[in-house]
Amino acid sequence: MRFLHLIRGNLFRNKVRSLLTVCLMAAIFFFVTTLLSILATFDNASEASGVDRLAVQSAISLTTMLPYSHEQKIREVPGVAETAKLQWIGAYYKDSRNFFANFAVDADKMKAVWTDYAIDPAQFEAFKADRQGCLVGPELLKRFDWKVGQKIVLKGTIFPFDPQLTIRGVYYHPVNVSSLYFHTEYFREAGLGGQGLTGTVWVRVSDTRKMAAVSQQIDEMFKNSEYPTETFTEKEFQKNFISMMGNIKLLFTSVSVCAIFMVILLAAITMSMSARERVTEIAVLKALGYRPGLVLGLMLVEFVLLTLFGGLAGTLAAKGFYQVFDMARATSGFLAGFRVYWQTVALCLGASALVGIVAGGYPAYRAANLSVVDGLRKVV
Amino acid sequence: METLVEIHDVRKVYKRDQFEIPVLNGITLGVPRGDFLALMGPSGSGKTTLLNLIAGIDRPTSGRILVDGQEVSSYSETALASWRARHVGFIFQMYNLIPVLNAAENVELPLLLTKLNRKQRKQHVENALAIVGLADRMTHYPRQLSGGQEQRVAIARAIVTDPTILVADEPTGDLDAKNADETLDLLQRLNAEFEKTIVMVTHDPKAAGRAKHALHLDKGVLAEGQYGYEAEPAVVRT
Ligand SMILES: Nc1ncnc2c1ncn2[C@@H]1O[C@H](COP(=O)(O)OP(=O)(O)O)[C@@H](O)[C@H]1O
Ligand SMILES: [Mg+2]
Repeated sequence: MRFLHLIRGNLFRNKVRSLLTVCLMAAIFFFVTTLLSILATFDNASEASGVDRLAVQSAISLTTMLPYSHEQKIREVPGVAETAKLQWIGAYYKDSRNFFANFAVDADKMKAVWTDYAIDPAQFEAFKADRQGCLVGPELLKRFDWKVGQKIVLKGTIFPFDPQLTIRGVYYHPVNVSSLYFHTEYFREAGLGGQGLTGTVWVRVSDTRKMAAVSQQIDEMFKNSEYPTETFTEKEFQKNFISMMGNIKLLFTSVSVCAIFMVILLAAITMSMSARERVTEIAVLKALGYRPGLVLGLMLVEFVLLTLFGGLAGTLAAKGFYQVFDMARATSGFLAGFRVYWQTVALCLGASALVGIVAGGYPAYRAANLSVVDGLRKVV
Repeated sequence: METLVEIHDVRKVYKRDQFEIPVLNGITLGVPRGDFLALMGPSGSGKTTLLNLIAGIDRPTSGRILVDGQEVSSYSETALASWRARHVGFIFQMYNLIPVLNAAENVELPLLLTKLNRKQRKQHVENALAIVGLADRMTHYPRQLSGGQEQRVAIARAIVTDPTILVADEPTGDLDAKNADETLDLLQRLNAEFEKTIVMVTHDPKAAGRAKHALHLDKGVLAEGQYGYEAEPAVVRT
């Protein structure tokens, strides 16, 4: 590239200003990378869910429970392969900050409904055989430094019930890596499922093409009962869960967009300044025969290099940082499976280049189309 | 001697808001090839405007300008840009070097628009800097050079493409007497030794005295009896 000297010279023309621009870009893109990675974690959680599962819950509210008898009726619906009750417990371990997902589940039907979970057969048998046994995700095991065979006590929040459990095994799943499952029976014995109520009934369908029909049929069946239902695919269910939590996704997306918008404004100001300072030089280049398109191109390359470099620094810093900083632990397991994907890095690089084009476009265009005579007279 | 620059009844009117400011009021003039012409006149008389028209960075409101047989006054913006790159060398009062480029890189600027490869460009840059006596300042940045040296780098940049015509707007206006002298020596040498046609704007009679001819502009017209293309074609063609 024969114009390299010129571009490099202009990049380092005002070192403090360039450095500040790069730092600002880096800071913003560190932040944006973090937000986008959190979104990716959410997306992943719903994406990798079983495609053949439906979750049946009360149509009234998320906290309203369903009678066990519903499960029996659901089993009769054509297209339903297997069902299992799942109850959110919401207990914590030792300290209320140690929050993680824990459930009571029909242990004997677990494998038949959640076919995408891998569990060592011997461990699974041990779990089934022990009423107070539980299965935990590998991240959870790591987080609390638990061992298989260890006895643990959880502290109940929603229910006045402190589960006393023995870890019988580890389950493996690509996304769900830090939950805990124990027996519905144990929950019921403690008197809490005594009324025969469960939060959700999960359904595996035999033919994924008929999911919509099955889901409709279930809701139809209970429409006029005391406990009407609302059936979601597992994907929708997860999204629902997330939207319940304050529509985090929308919030994060708008915060990211705002941050990028802000950095565009700031970059536009510095780039206008930098273009304005060079009015005479640009007029000289044009006098020498540099055409407007070339001047525009040279300036845009310079601006984009500046923002791209900042974006690269910020997003790579984030990638490195979260390799060391354990987000799962810091968020008490809420962001288990959090990581900065290369796709997110690429997205941020694209966005930072775009910042350069959008912010620098107008100043560069104006500079490129400046009248030579006016530029030399410094009347602009 | 043939006429390199022909200016026929050129007028230039600037419009500022609703006011029309006539700056050149019918200039007719010829500049022979190989001439060293000084354009003189009081401040605001239109010297720079006329020079800009000859150099093709501005266009007349009416009238025709031909350089080397080409009617540049009818060229489009882009055509003018490439014409300037090939035919015009610029020398400014404030030197106008790019501060972030060193001397060699500054001189190389016009060559970047040509098809020359890196090696050929380097050769041309070295030649040009040698002519102005700054072969040993290749890697110096403008801020590391004196005003006189900066102007010589600017002159090297103006001659590096071997242009048809050199235009200089008050090239000594910002220099002390000694450096002004040296710059004028250099321009004279370029004219005599390298047969460069030079049009120089100046209001310094001493500087004008170094040129082959001098013309006086006043209020947008050439002074009576002066070197007019039609009025005294004989002068032009000598
Ligand atoms: N872009 C412009 N708009 C309006 N007036 C201008 C412009 N450029 C030059 N002028 C006016 O034209 C006149 C001649 O300017 P100029 O050619 O620079 O004179 P000189 O170089 O002889 O001092 C001046 O009065 C100046 O104010
Ligand atoms: Mg002037």
